[in-house]
Amino acid sequence: MSVRSIGWNPVMKTDPRILRRPPPLGRRGLILLLIVAAAVFAWQGLGLSLGQLGAGNGGGWSLAGDFFGAALSPALHYEAELVPAGTTHFLLRVLESVRATVVFAAAGMSLALVLGLVLGCLASEAWWEGSGRIGTSLRWVLRALIVMMRSVHELLWAVVFLAAFGAAPATAVIAIALPFGGTLAKVFSEMIDEAPRRPSQALLALGATPAQRFLFSLLPSAAPDMASYAFYRFECAVRSAAVMGFFGIPTLGYFLKLSFENLHFREVWTYLYALIAVVLLLEGWSALLRRRFVA
Amino acid sequence: MAAASFMLRGVEVRFGGTQVLREVDLDVVAGERIALVGPSGAGKTTLLRVLNGVVQPTAGHGLMDGTDLSSLRPGELRAWRARVGFVPQDHALVPNLRVVQNVVSGRLGRRGFWSAARSLAFPTRSDLEAAHALLERVGIEEKLYARTDTLSGGQQQRVAIARALFQEPDALLADEPVASVDPARARDLIRLLTELAEERGLTLIASLHDLALAREFFPRVIGLRAGRKVVDGRPASLNEEDVRALYRLEPGHED
Repeated sequence: MSVRSIGWNPVMKTDPRILRRPPPLGRRGLILLLIVAAAVFAWQGLGLSLGQLGAGNGGGWSLAGDFFGAALSPALHYEAELVPAGTTHFLLRVLESVRATVVFAAAGMSLALVLGLVLGCLASEAWWEGSGRIGTSLRWVLRALIVMMRSVHELLWAVVFLAAFGAAPATAVIAIALPFGGTLAKVFSEMIDEAPRRPSQALLALGATPAQRFLFSLLPSAAPDMASYAFYRFECAVRSAAVMGFFGIPTLGYFLKLSFENLHFREVWTYLYALIAVVLLLEGWSALLRRRFVA
Repeated sequence: MAAASFMLRGVEVRFGGTQVLREVDLDVVAGERIALVGPSGAGKTTLLRVLNGVVQPTAGHGLMDGTDLSSLRPGELRAWRARVGFVPQDHALVPNLRVVQNVVSGRLGRRGFWSAARSLAFPTRSDLEAAHALLERVGIEEKLYARTDTLSGGQQQRVAIARALFQEPDALLADEPVASVDPARARDLIRLLTELAEERGLTLIASLHDLALAREFFPRVIGLRAGRKVVDGRPASLNEEDVRALYRLEPGHED
């Protein structure tokens, strides 16, 4: 018996219709074009040009030059000529502002984590599996609540609560906890629903209840992603807590604003570098933990 | 521990428009060891899932230890499932839990929620000892605290077997337990399964692709083709004609 050639045969001609390429500018090309058009439209609509920069601050480009020049020599002492005796050293004040910022962020995040975990589990499809129409409608009520929590930005919540409760620490904590809890709940519920279902089906086969299957298979499967995302949100909380200082809460933004108003740009840069350092530290910490999760 | 018996009468299973099982009659005596063979898509997995009480027959009856599964309430059905160990083809373990946690999850069907939650976080001494003994029996006792996804496919298969045994089942159903291991390991795994069933007096039904393994280790072979039971008997009574008919490809019917 002769060896029969399988696969590509140079003598046989392939039907040219099979090789015909799909059109290069199909649906995807159209979407890409629309995105570019939207960007051009936005820039055109705002009449953006680099010439505008510096026109609005009264000092023109020279003020901008002062500001960015200060970036190269951040302050190590107060820039003011006269510093009252007994004032804390500038660098100590920077450290204190960083500490306060992280503490506010941590307090807000801890509350947000509880909210996010509870609401995230309850808002997942998997939690209500097989519970019929009542479960589905309860889930939609929860999802609406979650949307309400996160559709208002934490800075807006802060403005609202400041008006209501004044500049108490709890104001800032709740302002962070509400939208962050909502965002965590949304993302956690999606991560739980995207977790592989096969282990959960195996637990069904050995007689586990729906709640046990949730706890033993879906939640552990989603846990590493959830932890990683929570870390990222903590980073966001630090930044938000810093900005809340602009509204009078004693975080980094509060001191940064004071330096700004006095045109002490070198001090401003010290605060900015301190904030960047905190975020970098958090990034390193979460990378370390992620490696341990994966290994 | 009493082994479980199964009786199917005219069982049909239909998923949407596809008929997966047709008029299946089956009697399995407690303690029997059966190989389930047949081409891909013949309905082997579905048959095992019917016996497990996870898939309800569209028509016909499934009697397990004399009780009609369709007459059971949800709690009673879960109690039946807890008596049947199922080793799925893809292991279906939680990848980022430790081996011991996956093994201990085998007894979920016999535990309440809080006791289950505790056994996940803080397994008791007796749980740990039982899990270790089972892992020792399946040959991977050193993996007790390893993360499950660091194990090879064959090792994970053994964890899935240990999980099913931790359940203290009366029957063991294994779906293509050797589909993802090489021939030498396949033989070891099948020997392990049949030995375990024998020493614990369990009813064992394993679906297999390898007819030689089925003949060597199982006193009874059942053949499924396109949802029908076409072979049922001792391996010695299987002739070449039966085997060819079981696996023959039909034009346009290569499911």
